[in-house]
Amino acid sequence: MTGMQFGIFSVGDVTPDPTTGRTPTERDRVKAMVAMAQRAEEVGLDVFATGEHHNPPFVPSSPTTMLGWIAARTERLILSTATTLITTNDPVKIAEDFAMLQHLADGRVDLMLGRGNTGPVYPWFGQDIREGINLAIENYALLHKLWREDVVDWEGRFRTPLQGFTSTPRPLDGVPPFVWHGSIRSPEIAEQAAFYGDGFFSNHIFWPKEHTQRMVELYRRRFAHYGHGTPEQAVVGLGGQVFMRGNSQDAVREFRPYFDNAPVYGHGPSLEEFTEQTPLTVGTPEQVIEKTLTFRDYVGDYQRQLFLVDHAGLPLKTVLEQIDMLGQEVVPVLREEFARRRPAEVPDAPTHEALVRAAATEPEGATTA
Amino acid sequence: MRIAVVASGLSVPSSTRLLADRLAAATAGRVDGAEVAVVELRELAVEIANHLTNGFPGPRLAAAIETVTGADGLIVVTPVFSASYSGLFKSFFDVLEPEALAGTPVLIGATGGTPRHSLVLEHALRPLFAYLRAVVVPTGVYAASQDWGTEGDGYADGLAERVDRAATELAALLSPAAGSRGAPRAAGADRRAEADEVVPFAERLAALGIDPPADRRGG
Repeated sequence: MTGMQFGIFSVGDVTPDPTTGRTPTERDRVKAMVAMAQRAEEVGLDVFATGEHHNPPFVPSSPTTMLGWIAARTERLILSTATTLITTNDPVKIAEDFAMLQHLADGRVDLMLGRGNTGPVYPWFGQDIREGINLAIENYALLHKLWREDVVDWEGRFRTPLQGFTSTPRPLDGVPPFVWHGSIRSPEIAEQAAFYGDGFFSNHIFWPKEHTQRMVELYRRRFAHYGHGTPEQAVVGLGGQVFMRGNSQDAVREFRPYFDNAPVYGHGPSLEEFTEQTPLTVGTPEQVIEKTLTFRDYVGDYQRQLFLVDHAGLPLKTVLEQIDMLGQEVVPVLREEFARRRPAEVPDAPTHEALVRAAATEPEGATTA
Repeated sequence: MRIAVVASGLSVPSSTRLLADRLAAATAGRVDGAEVAVVELRELAVEIANHLTNGFPGPRLAAAIETVTGADGLIVVTPVFSASYSGLFKSFFDVLEPEALAGTPVLIGATGGTPRHSLVLEHALRPLFAYLRAVVVPTGVYAASQDWGTEGDGYADGLAERVDRAATELAALLSPAAGSRGAPRAAGADRRAEADEVVPFAERLAALGIDPPADRRGG
C-alpha cells in the first residue's frame, strides 16, 4: 500500500430510491455501509471513511463504533472519517475514541477533521457556530497535545480546564493517528493543516476544480513555509464521485434519476452540466480513469483518492458493483499510472507503520514514556 | 474605468434594458476611457438558480460576477414586480460574496407600468445596496411607461433630465478627483488576492491564548 491510497467515503444518507420509491431502514443503511467497507477490502481498495452526522436523513452519528465493527472483520483496510466534527465533539473524547480504535485495528486508523455543514449541530452540542473556526483551532490544539503528552494541564475558552489529565489508552506505539484537515473553502483550515504538517483533504466533489486548486496551492505553499518539506511533499487527499457501467450511455441512463433527485445538487443543474463543471464522472471505468488522472494536473501528485459511490438512494447491489469496478478495473490502472508520473521525492500516503518508523528516526521522538 | 450594467428585464427588448442603456450612455459620455459591459440577468436565470441550490456559479454566471465585482462603477436596473425589485434581480445580488460591492459607486434604476411605484427605488433598492455597503448616488431613476412619451412637469424633471442628473452624479464618483470621497475598495482581483493571504497560524493560536506545540515554537 505504498504510493497512493484509494478508497471510498460515505455520507450515510437514508434517501428513497427514486426508481422504486423504497426507502431503506436505518438498520439497512448502517449494514450497507459496513458491507461496502468489507467489499472495499476484498477488491483491494485501501481506505473506508464514514461521515459523522447528527440529524436525519443521515445514520452515521457514531463513527468509531462503526469503524470498530469493520476493524474486526477486515485485515488491511485503513479506517477513516470524512469528517469527524472537531468543532462540536469534545477533543478529549476524540483522543480517547480514536486511540482505542487504533489499538483494536492494529493501527489501521486515521481521521479527517472538519467543521460540519449543519448549523444547528453547534447549539445541539452546546456550541456557538460563530466560533466555528476558533473551535476548530482550540479543540485541535488540545487533541494534538493529548496524543503527544502523557499528562496534560489545559485551560481554553471552550471546555472545562484539565489538570493532570491522561487520555487513555495512549496512542498505539506512541504514534497518534494521522490527521487530515478537510475544508471546502476556508483558508484558515489549509493554514492549520500546513502549520502542523498534517494532511489536507479537499472534498472536491460539489465545486469546480478551481476552488480545490486554490486551496491545495495555499496549503502546499504554507506547508513549505512551516518547514515540513517542499510544497510537493505536502500530503493531499481528494474526493471524487463516480458512477460506472460497461458503456457510458447505460451509466448515464441508470444514474440520471439518482442524480436528478440527489440531496445537495438534485433539482439543479443537469447531469451533463454537473459532469462538465465538477469532478463527477458518469461513464465507463476508462472514462473514470481518464478524468481521475487529470486531478494531478491541478493539485500535483497527491496521496489519497476517495470516491463517493453510495448516496442518493442507490441500492446496495449497485453500490457493491461500483466498488467491484473500482477495485478490479479502475484502481489498478490508477495505481500504475499515478506511480509512473510520480517523482521520487513525493512522499507515500501515510500509514501507521510509516509513522512509527519516522518517529523512531526523529531525534526527539514522542514524549510517551 | 470599467462600468458594469446589470439589467433584469424579462422581455426582449425590455424597457428595463432601454433605461439601462440610456443611463450607461449618459455616464460613459462623462467618464474618460469608460468601458461599459452589460449583464442581462435573463440569460443567466438558470445558472443563478443553480448557484442558489449548489453554492457555485456556472461558467457564464462566473464571468458575469467577475464583470460586476471587478467594475469601478455599477448601473443596476430592475423592473418592479409585486412592489419591489424582481426576484431574479435580488437572487443575483444574493449570490455575490458579502463584501464584493463594498465601496462601489452604484446608480439605481427601475421601470414599471405606472409611476405609483417610483418609491421602490427608495424603499427597496437603496436599502439593498446600503446593506451591501455600496455607495449609491443621490438620484435614482424610475421610468414608468408614460415617461417614455412625456416631458417633465412642475413637480418633477422629465426622464432625460433625471438620467443626465444621475449619470453626472455617478461620473463624479468615478472621476480620479473623487478617489477620497468613496469608501476605500479593492477591485475584484485584488480582493481575491487578499483572500488568499492567510493570518499566520501562530497569531490565531495567540489570539486564543494557546501555546504552540514544542516543535512549532519560534517557527
